[in-house]
Amino acid sequence: MAHRFDVLGLFDNEYRDDGYRTCSVTGLEVHRSVENHVKLFGLTAVVALLFGGVFALTVATTRWELIGLLEPGDFYTHLSMHAWNLLIFWMVFMEVAILYVGGPMVLGRRLPLTAVAKAGWVTMVAGAVSINYAIWTTSGVNEAPLLTSYVPLPSEPLFYAGAVVFILGTVVAALPFFVAMWREKRENPGETLPLVSFGAFVTSIIAVEALLGGLAAFVPTLLWRIEYIAWWDAAWYRQMYWIIGHGSQQINLVAMITVWYFLTHVVAGAEVVSEKVSRTAFILYLFFINLGAAHHLLSDPAVSTGWRIWNTSYAFYGATFASLIHAFAIPAGLEAGRRKRGKGRGLFGWLTSAPWKNPVFSATIFSIILFGFLGGTTGVMMGQLQLNMTWHNTFATVGHFHGTVVLGTTVAFMGLVFFVIRTMFMRQYVSERLASVQPFFYSAAMGVAVLMMMYVGILYGVPRRTAEVVENIPGTEFSLAAASPLFAIFGVFALLAITGGILFGVVAVGSLLFGDRVEGREDNADLVADGGLAMADDPDDPVHAYEMRGTFVLCLVFLAAFATTYALNWYLLTQLWSIGA
Amino acid sequence: MASHSDADATASPLEFVRRVIGRAWRDLLSVFYTNTPIWRLLKSVGLLFFGFFCWSASNLLFSYGVDWTILQYVRAYGFVLIFWGPLTHAVIVPYVIRLRRNARRPLARTLARQGSKLTIAVFLVLVLVLGTYPIGAMTLDFGSSLQGGDGGSDVDPDLLCTQTDGTVDCRLSESDGIDHVVVLSGDREVDRADEPPFEVAFHEDDLEEVVGQKEFVVELRDEDGDTLRRYRRSVATIPEG
Repeated sequence: MAHRFDVLGLFDNEYRDDGYRTCSVTGLEVHRSVENHVKLFGLTAVVALLFGGVFALTVATTRWELIGLLEPGDFYTHLSMHAWNLLIFWMVFMEVAILYVGGPMVLGRRLPLTAVAKAGWVTMVAGAVSINYAIWTTSGVNEAPLLTSYVPLPSEPLFYAGAVVFILGTVVAALPFFVAMWREKRENPGETLPLVSFGAFVTSIIAVEALLGGLAAFVPTLLWRIEYIAWWDAAWYRQMYWIIGHGSQQINLVAMITVWYFLTHVVAGAEVVSEKVSRTAFILYLFFINLGAAHHLLSDPAVSTGWRIWNTSYAFYGATFASLIHAFAIPAGLEAGRRKRGKGRGLFGWLTSAPWKNPVFSATIFSIILFGFLGGTTGVMMGQLQLNMTWHNTFATVGHFHGTVVLGTTVAFMGLVFFVIRTMFMRQYVSERLASVQPFFYSAAMGVAVLMMMYVGILYGVPRRTAEVVENIPGTEFSLAAASPLFAIFGVFALLAITGGILFGVVAVGSLLFGDRVEGREDNADLVADGGLAMADDPDDPVHAYEMRGTFVLCLVFLAAFATTYALNWYLLTQLWSIGA
Repeated sequence: MASHSDADATASPLEFVRRVIGRAWRDLLSVFYTNTPIWRLLKSVGLLFFGFFCWSASNLLFSYGVDWTILQYVRAYGFVLIFWGPLTHAVIVPYVIRLRRNARRPLARTLARQGSKLTIAVFLVLVLVLGTYPIGAMTLDFGSSLQGGDGGSDVDPDLLCTQTDGTVDCRLSESDGIDHVVVLSGDREVDRADEPPFEVAFHEDDLEEVVGQKEFVVELRDEDGDTLRRYRRSVATIPEG
């Protein structure tokens, strides 16, 4: 039955008289109200991804100075567009959709306050459009804000207003999720939330922290910019700003891990090997993950050494520990779950027999591996007071967060979009082969590009946010020309990664517009985990009875890489200069 | 099914270690020879990344002035692995396995039996040779970072400004390497100097105001119009002349 605002037949699934339908893949009871809003926010996120991806092309071809597409002033504008659309709009719209999936959809509930959800969407879109317009029309005394918009550099007043509106819109859009959780607990006071709902709930709490920080940063700054107040403290702004600036990336992290648990379970038969351990890891995030934002202030004045060391070393390790728990728990659940299904011969048979042709699975696994090896390890290193000195504001920092929010979150969310196309929009992929290839192609190309970013940053000290460093640093004898060969590799693989991004757009949008309709249960049978999901509920066949030695070996490899990189960075730091020599 | 068998539980420590090592070796062989498409891909890409890591980490240490001989061989190992890993697992191992199934001639049968050992031997020889005699492509240049890239000179004069009755005067401590100087406020050019000593003057009423501040930007440019240095100043911070 089509929704009255249906476009292109995207909101027209068949529901029973009570508004529910049973998902043939997950077995969830899905209500029309949840599904339509998940689609709405998800589609908007994909539009932001495609729009921001255009600027990935202009930014990458400027940093690859052999092409040197843009002038320095234009580069900053394009970089701002790239950052806001991909780091914020693509992510946050998708995360609201994930809240609705993890909350009411997994719990089999209606979405409460649908008018509020729609109002949230309208407000968020208004904020996003305002920010884009303000950045693109930056002129005169104003500066393009990039992501940080540091006081006292002035940006367009509309930009600050747009940021405040977008943040408020996100809070409004999250309200139905909170109400759904509240009602669930009121109706079932003795029952535990499913792990995915629990992860979504933790995500939402971290999101509220971040959004409040955003309001604390942007509201006074807006007042300062429209000259309602005469002065605003730059140090205060920076500290408040990073609550949302990095906090929003922590929302990405926790939402991504929630998606990992969800998708590995649904399409590959993973089970949770220990609910308590996984939930404990989420709780650790709740207390410690936002402290990691302090690493942005490690080279700033105005905060004490004790504050820096506490936030970025001791406390932050609480979050690192949580990540390491998930790094074991998710593959271990996958291994044990697949062995239980008779799909686990040898050390790694459980992994290689997995449905690699299914882009939902491959995207999720690449997200786990690449986030862990490239994004996570570098985050722990550069988030430390001493090692930060060699990373701060170099291109390696850009490599780090492309390792987290692109190779980690974006790849996982791409997998989720592939899943939603089949199970909610009810469309077959416009090309099975292209859909299968895309996660491999995109992840590999982006992986090399990210490594090159880190490499030129650490090896040559190439700075971030700068259009001209290799060809020419104006007005100085200092030269970074030696980094040219590595920038050439970066440029080629960045363009390949952008091609992979275009491929995603072609498959996603093409499938929605031209994909064959999924008519019955058998059309989505290839998405269902081997043996069906009912196996996970067998009390006589507990998952912890199955071995996980493959995961143990993989984790040892990961720890070896982590320890080696960590020791290497410390050793390099000792080589920079001698104290007292 | 647990992997830790009863036999393991009753074995002496020495026997236990021997079994663990034996099992690890068999696992390694099984991984080396596994030949499904996804295994081929994972092994190739995994070794490519590992090779890249060894190569880049060694170069990184060299760039900091560390001079260990072992690093030359780690760098060579990583560099060769970038190519050899994918070659071995995407091409050679599948070919050897195919030969084992249908080799007829003696040479082919020998290749089928010894192909993997031969591959690893060639690989190790390459590592030893390139570790001892590194080629240009595997080494990176760190020496030129502090020399002029395109012959540009260091242009870094002090900008000295004073104001008198609302008129701001600015001059430079040095003029070398500069073609012309412009003063900008917003998108407008409010003054320009084309000759040394590049003194500029303008009235504060010509400046745009932002967040209660009259600001201006002084840009030093070369003959191509490219910016060499940029100074942002606020009138409120400029001393009376």
